[in-house]
Amino acid sequence: MKKRHVLAVAMAATAALALTACQQGSATGGDDGDTGGGEGGGEEVVNLEFQSLSDQPLAMEAVQGIVDDWNAENPNIQVELVQAGWDGIYDKLITQFNGGTAPDIIHYEAASIAPFAVDGYLADLTDLIDPAFASDVTEGIWESVTVNEEIIAYPTTLQSYMVFANVDLLEAAGVEIPSGPTMTWDELREIAQATTTDGQFGLGWGLSNPTATFMSLGLGFDGGYFEGSGSDVTIDVGEGELAVPEAIHQMTYEDASLDPVSLTQSGSEVLPAWYAGQTAMTVQGSFRVASIGTDAPEGFNWAVLPPLEGSVSADQAANPQTYSVNIDSEHVEESAQFLDFFTSTENLAALAYADALVPASTSARDALAEQTADETGWAEVLASGDSLVAPPFLTVDAYTQWKDTVATPAFQRFLADEIDSAQLQADLTDGWEQVNR
Amino acid sequence: MTAVATRPVTRRGVSSRAQRREAIALVVPAMAPIIVFSVIPLMAGVYLGFTDATLRRNDVADFIGLDNFIRLMGDRFFWESFRIGLVWAVACSVLTLLCAMGLALLLNTDLRLKSLTRVLALIPWAMPPVVVAIMWRMIYSPTAGPLNAALEWVGVAPVNWLGDFSTALPAVIVVAVWSGMPQTTVLLLAGMQQVPAEQLEAAAVDGASAARRFWHVTLPALRPVVLASTALDFIWSFNSFGLVYVMTEGGPGGRTMLPMLFTYLEAFKNRNIGYASAMGDVLVIAVLLVLSIYLIQQFRKGKAEG
Repeated sequence: MKKRHVLAVAMAATAALALTACQQGSATGGDDGDTGGGEGGGEEVVNLEFQSLSDQPLAMEAVQGIVDDWNAENPNIQVELVQAGWDGIYDKLITQFNGGTAPDIIHYEAASIAPFAVDGYLADLTDLIDPAFASDVTEGIWESVTVNEEIIAYPTTLQSYMVFANVDLLEAAGVEIPSGPTMTWDELREIAQATTTDGQFGLGWGLSNPTATFMSLGLGFDGGYFEGSGSDVTIDVGEGELAVPEAIHQMTYEDASLDPVSLTQSGSEVLPAWYAGQTAMTVQGSFRVASIGTDAPEGFNWAVLPPLEGSVSADQAANPQTYSVNIDSEHVEESAQFLDFFTSTENLAALAYADALVPASTSARDALAEQTADETGWAEVLASGDSLVAPPFLTVDAYTQWKDTVATPAFQRFLADEIDSAQLQADLTDGWEQVNR
Repeated sequence: MTAVATRPVTRRGVSSRAQRREAIALVVPAMAPIIVFSVIPLMAGVYLGFTDATLRRNDVADFIGLDNFIRLMGDRFFWESFRIGLVWAVACSVLTLLCAMGLALLLNTDLRLKSLTRVLALIPWAMPPVVVAIMWRMIYSPTAGPLNAALEWVGVAPVNWLGDFSTALPAVIVVAVWSGMPQTTVLLLAGMQQVPAEQLEAAAVDGASAARRFWHVTLPALRPVVLASTALDFIWSFNSFGLVYVMTEGGPGGRTMLPMLFTYLEAFKNRNIGYASAMGDVLVIAVLLVLSIYLIQQFRKGKAEG
């Protein structure tokens, strides 16, 4: 009898252990969007969880400020700010969504949030967005956050690729700083050649992950790579698509005006050489305007050159930062109300200024232009905002897969002069056949 | 029941049955967590390889038989990464063994500050893989790294270690060996201290040189340790992920795309959990296959000698 007892106790203990373990797994999932008791009267307070990725000190302050303003004005809808970072955010989000612990409001970027929309995790915001904001943002940007004819995010701020120049080095080489509305690739090539001397390269370009850059700048040559949407997509790698990689290849191996080492580095790893005067120019995301202002050595004389223009236009890919609402949130409408407030002209301008990005709405862009009239680089950055259009790859299901397993390795091989452009073309096309089966 | 229990034969039966029950009671609490947290997830993972599971919201996984495996047969990217994985795992385990053997022999001699050097040799072990990877990325940095600075100082042209197609894989293998060495060293060191001192002394008296003493006395005594640690190293390096993910993300041009990295991309970037699980199944089978060949050979050798 006693022994049977032991067995029973042991079984019970194990079962309890297993159950606790299971419970711990789900306990964290159930409480987002819980309603707490209202403070005065019987009104219920809605609590929203808002996961923000803005991790620069200034941007964090700006976001916190907007949230505080909202919470003070809306005692019935309280937003709780959860700080996350850009590093590893994809892994975090995919875990959160699959584990059912995703926050109500999700900050990310258009190209990367699209797969989550395709998989059905994001609420349709088409009818919830403030009409004033809707008409204030260009069609091209709305397209970039539209998946299956549903708007799945508020677009907020955008970046473009800009050429940053060390003015002293350009002047020493007798180069006139271009000042037109745009600059052609040939001009860039000439300046790079003129500023290349012994021990100094004309251009440093951090292209360790080249695909996003090529996809974006290719649009200027009508190089959209993809035709169609969803899984019914064909790839076309032609002259327009290959123009940017070939130009870079030419500058690196024919002119020797582009530092080949920089091609294997990230954007931030290239900056020290530019600060030190070892490269005259560097191509970077426009958001560097903010950090260069503070990080550059004393007396560093720099400028942002006009946006690069391809054979067709100065278009670049619009890949805005986005704020989406979890479809499983109990308070989709309240979340949209908060986001309407978040994207108001004043708030968007403040946010864009803190991150040195281009605001998505025209009114915020105007406000920012006024505010930054006498700061280096801002005029050029804001001007580039006019030619941002939704790139074709945003609606392609297997894009991420193609990018990671086919395009990035193939571009890296091409940039390292391991393969020629015919081979690159073949690799990109055959690889697409492989992944899009 | 009491009536039956009076007979001595059955009494023994009852008592042994009770003992068995007691044994089960003691084993169940230990087994249950293993079954719940290891065996069931493992089985579920293996099963996923036969479904079309994805990471979609409210996804329903349908059983699709061997479709994933058939598709995998024609996936040349996977087999290319599989090949890289084999090169990587073999290189890592063999080099780790050689380096660790050298280090263990050194630490086993009567050096001064023996205890201090033994602790120092363990340091790489105490570092998480991500920290190791970040540290080595700085060392390998083509523009600001101390390695290239040293090379330049002795007049050698700088090398873009992690960016160059020919050096990237060797460079990450060096790091894996460096960080995997302490573990093997400790195992070998423990094994060396089990080698009977009399045998070594006897061999020395017989006039055997240090190299011959190592080859004919120490090494045979170490064989089980060498076998076990190399086998473990092989599994670990074949399945390793963090180190290479942080250092190169599979680049440049896919030269360091280990099978685990590739599977990760398929599972979490492409959200095809079913297909990625099929890759995982293939990797498990591959590891088992390589190990079983190795083990069978060792057993045969052991029998022939014994």
